This record gives sequence, structure tokens and C-alpha cells, in this order.
Amino acid sequence: MQTAGVQGVPDTGPMVVAAMEANGLRLTSVDATASALGLSPGEPLARARARIGTPIAVHPSDPEADAAALVRLCLWAKRYTPTIAAFGPAEGRDGVFLDVQGASHLFGTEADLVADLSLRLAVGGLPARIALADTPGCAFALARHGGGGIVTPGCNAEALRCISVAALRLDPALAQSLARLGLRRIGHLMDASRAALARRFGESLVLRLDQALGLRPEPLVPLDEPHDICATRGFLEPIGRQETIVATATRLMEELTPQLEATGLGARALRLTLTRVDGCVRTLDLAVSVPTRCARQVGRLLDLRLDRLGSALDAGFGFETVSLAVVSTGPMSERQITLVEGPAEVEGPGCLVDALRQRIGPHPLRSHALASHLPERAEAVLPWKPVIGRHIGVSTPEAGPSAKSLSSGTGSPLDPIRVTASRLPPRPLVLLRRGEAVEDVIALVPDGPPQRFRWRRRLHRIIHADGPERIADEWWRGSAPVRDYYVVEDEAGRRLWVYREGPFTLQKPVQWFVHGLFA
Amino acid sequence: MTQDPTDTRNDPERPPFASATIAALRGLVAGGAAGPGTRGVMPMGIHAIDMRLAPGGLGLGQLHEIAPENAGDEPAALGFALALVARRLARIEGEALLVTARGHPRPYGQGLAGLGLDPGRVLLFEVDGDRDAFRAVEEALRATGLAAVAGFLDAGLPLAQSRRLHLAAERTDLLLLMLRSSAVESPNVAATRWRIAAGKALRDRFGCIERPCWQVRLERSRNGRIGDWLLEWDHAAHRFGLAGALAGHAAEADADRRRAGRS
Repeated sequence: MQTAGVQGVPDTGPMVVAAMEANGLRLTSVDATASALGLSPGEPLARARARIGTPIAVHPSDPEADAAALVRLCLWAKRYTPTIAAFGPAEGRDGVFLDVQGASHLFGTEADLVADLSLRLAVGGLPARIALADTPGCAFALARHGGGGIVTPGCNAEALRCISVAALRLDPALAQSLARLGLRRIGHLMDASRAALARRFGESLVLRLDQALGLRPEPLVPLDEPHDICATRGFLEPIGRQETIVATATRLMEELTPQLEATGLGARALRLTLTRVDGCVRTLDLAVSVPTRCARQVGRLLDLRLDRLGSALDAGFGFETVSLAVVSTGPMSERQITLVEGPAEVEGPGCLVDALRQRIGPHPLRSHALASHLPERAEAVLPWKPVIGRHIGVSTPEAGPSAKSLSSGTGSPLDPIRVTASRLPPRPLVLLRRGEAVEDVIALVPDGPPQRFRWRRRLHRIIHADGPERIADEWWRGSAPVRDYYVVEDEAGRRLWVYREGPFTLQKPVQWFVHGLFA
Repeated sequence: MTQDPTDTRNDPERPPFASATIAALRGLVAGGAAGPGTRGVMPMGIHAIDMRLAPGGLGLGQLHEIAPENAGDEPAALGFALALVARRLARIEGEALLVTARGHPRPYGQGLAGLGLDPGRVLLFEVDGDRDAFRAVEEALRATGLAAVAGFLDAGLPLAQSRRLHLAAERTDLLLLMLRSSAVESPNVAATRWRIAAGKALRDRFGCIERPCWQVRLERSRNGRIGDWLLEWDHAAHRFGLAGALAGHAAEADADRRRAGRS
């Protein structure tokens, strides 16, 4: 990377890049030949020239060209994963982080991906050292100061133990003072008392250590691509209040609406970029489940997000530039504007889902039926997704609203459960994650339903039992014992779904489990 | 509160503007008291219960609190709440949002269907604690396209939160239910409070369990009266029924009748 600006210059001698600094020219990077001669970055150029006899090819440093080359490399690396982040100032601006979570299987395994990456880089003339680990900090440490390679998940600590503390991306002065105290390896820091480390060397050391070990998150700032649909506003007087930010974003969205309308698209994902007076950039990503052009909705979602962030946004002395970009778009169906006020069209819960996600975080779920007779496998609870054309179903006069909303369901394997409860054997309202064993079981006949049992420290005297309903395991999966289910009612009227594992035999004591609770 | 057209015909001497003025004034008064008067109601479908609820049923856009009678009655209370949601969904289009605080069991899809509630119209939202549950319910009260919101809480329903929800619900016509645990009692502004205990299920003619049954106690009813009943739930017709008079509680039913006769 360091030599990216001067590639293609055929030269056999040592080659260095030098930059003008406070007291003369200093080397900023050196090539392999120069390194073999004992030159290293940071040395004054004059001393280097005096020290070695051979002539040195010196090239002026060009940080902008370096940055541009790094961005080109990042864009190229998009072939592996969409989340790419260039090394920042702490890492030396000479490498790239790839977040390959969820993308590595496209190349086979993680090892295949790494092999492919290193092969392609080598063909391109870029000698690279690649490390793959759970955290960016650990991957950086292994790539720059360790041997590279792939760390198995959860083994960060062992991999880092023998590596120099400089790999933690510390301030050079701090690394030096650690070395002076004999704390040379990361393992030494891990064994030392955290409180003492924080007191003696400040919070930044513990933060870097935690980030490398994965105890604290280290979000990557992904490479920002220019977006087609984007609006920006600058302010002479910096803004910092939430209402002002929201109002500005709403105004920007109104500016974008005509562009979206012209293409017949709606925004699915938006990115708000806030540039602080001191140059620090904050980005907020908003996603909506149904494409939208509504500025008010975007403003409100942003308001909720800012509410949740609270002081974490850290406006400092204020933001001087606000820009809103449409990151991803989706087709939006045209809607007839009604001239006369009629009954309002029923909207899906899309807006609500977005608002809940922005304000609270988790994704609303919906229960889907699966084709399985095993109660625990008969349901899939998945994040809610809009169903295209769900409300187009034609309702006949005799069909109630529930029939109407179901009539447009397609034959996908994940159909909503039909209301055919009367056909099904009874199913409990609450299904326990796994059967919970009961104690002190007394049954009237050995293979009959229990008369009394203790579950969750409460004694249930059974006065009525319906059943059995025998449910066997799916033969293509394995051979769990069959289960005989009973609906039992205790004297207080509580109804439980209990089962006996396996058929009754004299050799083995019977084992009863509670699997569900009825209303 | 509506204008009576017979007014002027019965009294020809009265100047014609008087009735119009009075009607206008009445309209103003009605408009001023507007909120509760114009709001919808979901009748329980049982005369004895609807009579005791001030608006003639469960007021929509009002907060209703449901609590289990004892520890162990939670499934019954959950079932009663979901039965109310099912009854609401059977009448109008729209979806229901169930907000469950962590630690509260998530309803099982086929069990929902067994109560007559189509899981395809139910959104489940799981949050970390009661604080988030209140915020989620409040957010849902602003949404369009919802018919019912139910929150299942870990702890109680405190005064401040209930007031917030009450104010947020006033503008809507949603069925708003909050199910809390039996352990934490706190005063709040809920319009009704229901105590639910498990009851012996209704049997069919073969002696098998046919319908769920709950002992329902209306413990608080704003501007109404309290009472308790044994209610069964018919999931197919989305209808409650009084089980006490039919299913072997003749003595109680008798006592009820005698009490009614005396009063």
C-alpha cells in the first residue's frame, strides 16, 4: 500500500518515499530492498543517504494519491463483502478491513476467501498479509504484528497473547512507556489488573485491549459511496438541537421527493450524515420496510432514532453540514388520490414496524405455520415483512374480514396459520421451549394419565384428562421416543399439556413432562 | 344529544329559531364533552356484563387492565386478553399488536388459532422490560391500521404510565389491554380492571374438554358496577357465554336470581 503512488516505476535499487516535515525530509515508507539495507520509516533522508552508499530513488510523498488508491482498493474489495472500511489514522491508513460475516460462504469457507483474496492481490502486485479474526482489533494485530492467518471464533485471547503491545494501535509514546515497564506482550496486559492499567495509562489502553478481545464493540465506518439521490445543506451557524436536525432532514427529504417521483421509486434505506464543526462525521442509517417518499415519516423515524440515541449523538459545538442520501430504493406503486373523502384505506403495519424498530430496537415478529406435526417445529416466528398485494384479496359478502385478509395468501411454504382450530387436536396457548420434567407422579393405572404431579413446585391434582394423542418424531430426522400427550385439568381448572416419553414398559420408569399451558 | 325533529311541531308558538338555537347549543355542549361520547364500544355480548360497564361494553380508546387472580392463573388471564383481542379482530379489519416483556411467555401460533385469533393478523413484539413495553404500546397507539394493542407486563401498571397510555389512547379507537402480574398492585387510571382465574372447562357430550372457561371478576369499572361471572369462550363464533347458569352451578345461578328479584 505504501508504494501505491509509485507503482510501475521500474527500478532495481532501493526506493523510498519522503515527506517534508518540521526539520527536513524524512522517510515515510520504504520498499523491500531499502528495508533490507536497514532503512525504516521516520529516519531523516539525509542520514539515510549518508549511511548507505548506494543511490536511493526518492519519491515525494503524496497523501491524497495514497488515499485515492486506498479507496480504489476498497471498491475493488467490494467483490467480497459490502462492508469495507479503510484503515484510519490510528491504523496508519495503509490497509483495509473487510467484514466478511455472512459473506464468506459465497466463496466456500473463510480459508477459501482468504486464499482467493491473497491470490488476486498478489496478481495485482500488492504483497499483502491477511488475518481473519472476530474483531477488527485482533485482525489488525495479527496482520501487522503477527503472522496473519485465521483465528478460530472465540480464540482471540490466545492468538493475541504473544503479540507485541504495539499491535493494539496505541499511541507510540504509550507503547514505549509500556515497553519500559516490561509490558511487552499483550498477554502481560491481559494478566495485569485492569483498574491499575486504567489508572496508570488512561482509558484508551483498556479500550483498545477490550476492542481487540471483543469485550467492547468497535463499529467499522464503512466506505461511503456517492449516492445518486442526495441533498445537502450547510449552515453558517452550526446546529445541534434535535428539532432542528429533524426539521432539516424533513426539508431535505422534501427536496429529494421529486427525484424519486420522477423515477417511480421510493426510498427503502436512507443515510443521514452530520458533519460536526471539528470535522467528526456522524452517520445515521434509517431503513423502512415499505418504500416511501413521505418526508414526514422520515422526519418522525429520525426523531425516534435521535430520541433513542440521546446524548450518544454528541453534537459538541454543533453540526455545520447535514446531508441526506437515499441508499437503496424500491419500486413504489402509484396510488389514486381520492377527490372525495371516503373511508381511509387500511394501511399495513409497515409504519408501525419502522417506528418500533427505530424507537426500541427489536424487530416485530409474526408467527408462520410450518409443515410439521411436531408442535415445537410447527411454528416459525420470523421478523415481519410486508407481503406484496396482501390486501388485494376480493372479499365476497359472506366472507368476514378474517377471510378477506387470508384470501390473497399465496401458496408459499410459510403461509399464515389458517383458522381451522376445530379440525386440529387442541394446542396450548403457551408452548414451553422444551418439555419440563414433573416429579412425584402418581397414576391410577401404569400406562394411564397422571393423577397427581408436582411441577414448578406446585402440586397439581388432576381431575380430568383428555387423550392420549400420540406424536412420533419425524422419521427422516432421528428416532426420539414417541410422546403420548394428554390435556389435563387440575382441580383449580388450570389446563396443562403433559406428555409421557416413550411407550410404557416395565423395564423403565415412566417419565412425564409438561409441554404447554392452555388458556 | 341529537336534534329532535318533533320539537317544533309539538309547540307551534315557539319561535322557529329557538329549536335551532337549542340544537346548536346542544351540539356545542356535546362537542365540548366530545371525546368519550363519540368513541366506540366493544360489547362483551352478554347483557349482564355490558350493563355494568358504563359505555355498554369495553370502551375503545380506554385503558383496560387485566390481572390474574393468583400466581398460576397467568395462562387464564392471557387467554382472556387474547379472547378479547380475537373478538375485536372478528369485527373489524386491521391487525393486533402484542407487546410482550421478556420473561413473559410468547403465545404459540397454533394456540392463538385455537382461541380464534388468526396469527396472520397478529404482530408479536418482544421487548426487554416493562419500560420498553410501555413505550412500544404508546407508539402503537399512534399507528394506523391497528385494531387492538395488548401489552403483557412483567410487573405492575403504575399510575404515571397508565396516565400516559390513557392520554395517548384517548385520540384513537383501539382496544387497549394491559395484562400485568398478580404480584404488584398499584393504583392507576384504567377504566376497568378484570381479575381472571382458571375455571373448569366446558365439557362436550362425551365428557371431553370443549371450551375454555374463566372465572372473571370485574373489580373496577369506571362509572359502572362491578361483578363476577363464569365465562366461557366460543372461538368459532368469537362469543363469550355465561357458563354459570348452564354448567352445574345451578345453586349460584339461583342465588343470583333471588338477589336480582330482591333488588
